[in-house]
This record gives sequence, C-alpha cells and structure tokens, in this order.
Amino acid sequence: MNELVLTLGWLGIYAPMALGAAASAIGCAIAGQASIGAMTETEGGYGRFVGVSAFPSTMVIYGIVIMFTLNRDVTPENAGGLFGIGILSGIALMYCGIWQGRACAAAINATKEKPEIFGLALAPAAIIEGFGVFAFVFALVISAGIS
Amino acid sequence: MSDPDAYIALISSLPGSERLFVAKQPPLSRLRLDRRLKALASEDARVLRVLEHALNWNDYDMDVTDDQAIARCKTALDDIPQPTLKKLLVERMDLRTVVAALRLRHRGEPPPATPLGFGRWSRHIPAHWTDPGFGLDAAMPWIKDARQLLESNDPLGLERLLLSISHKQLKRHSARHLFDFEAVAIYVLIWNIFDRWAQSSAQEAAARFEKLAQQAMADVADIDFEGAYA
Repeated sequence: MNELVLTLGWLGIYAPMALGAAASAIGCAIAGQASIGAMTETEGGYGRFVGVSAFPSTMVIYGIVIMFTLNRDVTPENAGGLFGIGILSGIALMYCGIWQGRACAAAINATKEKPEIFGLALAPAAIIEGFGVFAFVFALVISAGIS
Repeated sequence: MSDPDAYIALISSLPGSERLFVAKQPPLSRLRLDRRLKALASEDARVLRVLEHALNWNDYDMDVTDDQAIARCKTALDDIPQPTLKKLLVERMDLRTVVAALRLRHRGEPPPATPLGFGRWSRHIPAHWTDPGFGLDAAMPWIKDARQLLESNDPLGLERLLLSISHKQLKRHSARHLFDFEAVAIYVLIWNIFDRWAQSSAQEAAARFEKLAQQAMADVADIDFEGAYA
C-alpha cells in the first residue's frame, strides 16, 4: 500500500511539469497553425502572428516552477498532498494552455482581417493566462503547508 | 462531432466571409478556394461535394423534376454525418419549398393534392394555401417581403432577399464553429452565395445594358443621315 501512495506522490510532483508541457505543445500547435494560415493570406505582420502563437508556452514554465516547489522527499504522510496539488494544478494548466491556444488562433484569424483590433482580440487569451497564474500561485501557496 | 481544431490553418488562410460581400473584386476565386480545399481529409471533401451538389443550382439540370431534387436532398441527408450541416440543408430546403409554393400560388395554381416539396412544412403549406403567409409568418417572417417582391415582378429583388436569408442562416450556424469541418463547409456555402450575388449583379448590369442599347438603337432609327439619299 505504501508503495502505491509513494508512487502517487511522485506522480503529483511531476504532473504539473508533464501536463504543462502537453498544454504548451497543444496550445502552441493550435495557435501556430492559425498563424501559418494567416501568413498565406496577409502581406505583412507575420512577426505578430508568430509571437501570439507562442503565448501558451508559459504553461510549461508554471509547471516547472510548481514541480520544483513540490520536489521533496516523498513520504506516506506527504504523498497525498503532493498528488492532489500536482495533479489538479497540472490539469488546470493543461486546460488553460489548450484553450489559450484556441483563443490565440481566433485572435490571429480575426486580426488578419482587421489589424486594428489586435490588442483587444488578445484579451481572452490574456484572461485565460490569468486563470493559469491563479492555478500556479495557489499551488505554490498550498504546497507550503505540505511537510 | 467534428474535431474542433481540424482545419485551423485552412480557415485562417481564407479571407473573412464578410469581406466577400464588401469587396469590389472577389478576394478569392473558385480556383483558389478549390486549391485551399485540398487540405480537407478525403471523407470531409466527399461530404462537402455532396452538400454542394444538393444545394447548388448550377448542379441541377434545367428540366429537373421536384421528385429528383427531393431524392437528391434525401440522399444527401443520409450521406452527411454532421448534425449542423444536416440542419443547414433542411433549413435551405424549407426555404426553397416556401418559395416554390409562393411561385405556384402567384401563377394562380390550386393547392397541390400531395405534400409540396421537402421538409416539415410540405403538408402544412397546401393546408394553408389561402393564407398570404401560409400560416408561417411567425416561423418565417420574410415570407411577406418575398410575396411582395414576387407580386411586384421583381425577380432580382427576390433573389437578393433569398440570398440574404440564406446568408443569415449560415452566419447563425457559423458562430458555433470556428475551425472544424463545419466551419469550412459553411464558408464554402457562403462563398457560393457571394458567387450568386455577384452573378445577380452581373445580370442586373446586363439587363440595364440591354435596355440602354435598345433606347440608343431606337434613337438611331430616327436619325436623319444627311446626304444618305443624295
């Protein structure tokens, strides 16, 4: 039984990093495809499209920081806490990354027609980033209570 | 349910559908559109062909019968797996059924003894033949305008009204589909509307040209050519 609990603890430590990486990969791929499509249709502003498509890459950074914060000797006492915080923050980051990628893709698709709405079109992606930051910050705060 | 991210690059590479109607020059020719549509998976390309085959007037022979047209739509409905596209097809056929009924009644024909056209209104319309809006004013508020255009003998106005209604129907469905196959199909259908819209403008220009030419020729007949009989 202890082995299973310890395994869950290790899973919790690595989950934010793994799920954050998956989130960034999927999100950047989604937004990147939109920027490639937009580049075939527009005459300029390519750098902006590529820059926006890199937005979801922050999720893996948050995941790495959470992983290092959770990283400690895993014991039967702290494994449950590590698992809960790690898995749930990882899932939150993954959703944020994928949907941020979709929001960025929509922003790129809209701004290829109307470049003047570039800033406003990024608002949904920025708000999603805020939710990712919430998941990140409170994972750090809560992890301080784990022995 | 289609993959919501299946055609991100394809959709992003197409000019916005709103631009189709405001541009003086078509921003995307059919040739270029077809080239972009090569990115579709083979099954999606097949479904799009079926949908266009059922909806495009250009794909119908001039002497096609009602039964043939209805059979083609029923086959298309069986062939199309996406609920949104099925709904789009049914809505368009409802519209065509109502317009067909308006034309028949305008010609002074009696209510058909059998169900008319295709869809949920095919029995309702003959049963409400004497009602100006076939009892569908609430469901289809545009019927009144269509009837007035038909009675005032304005086929171009009627064509444009029907195109704008079809466009609104498509835009309503497009709000739920950003980058999936349905979004691509809706874009192509909007492009087809734009194409017909542009053609109707060309027809209007041609009719006007013919009228002006006839007027000019009438004036020519009255010209007294000096020295012609010298």
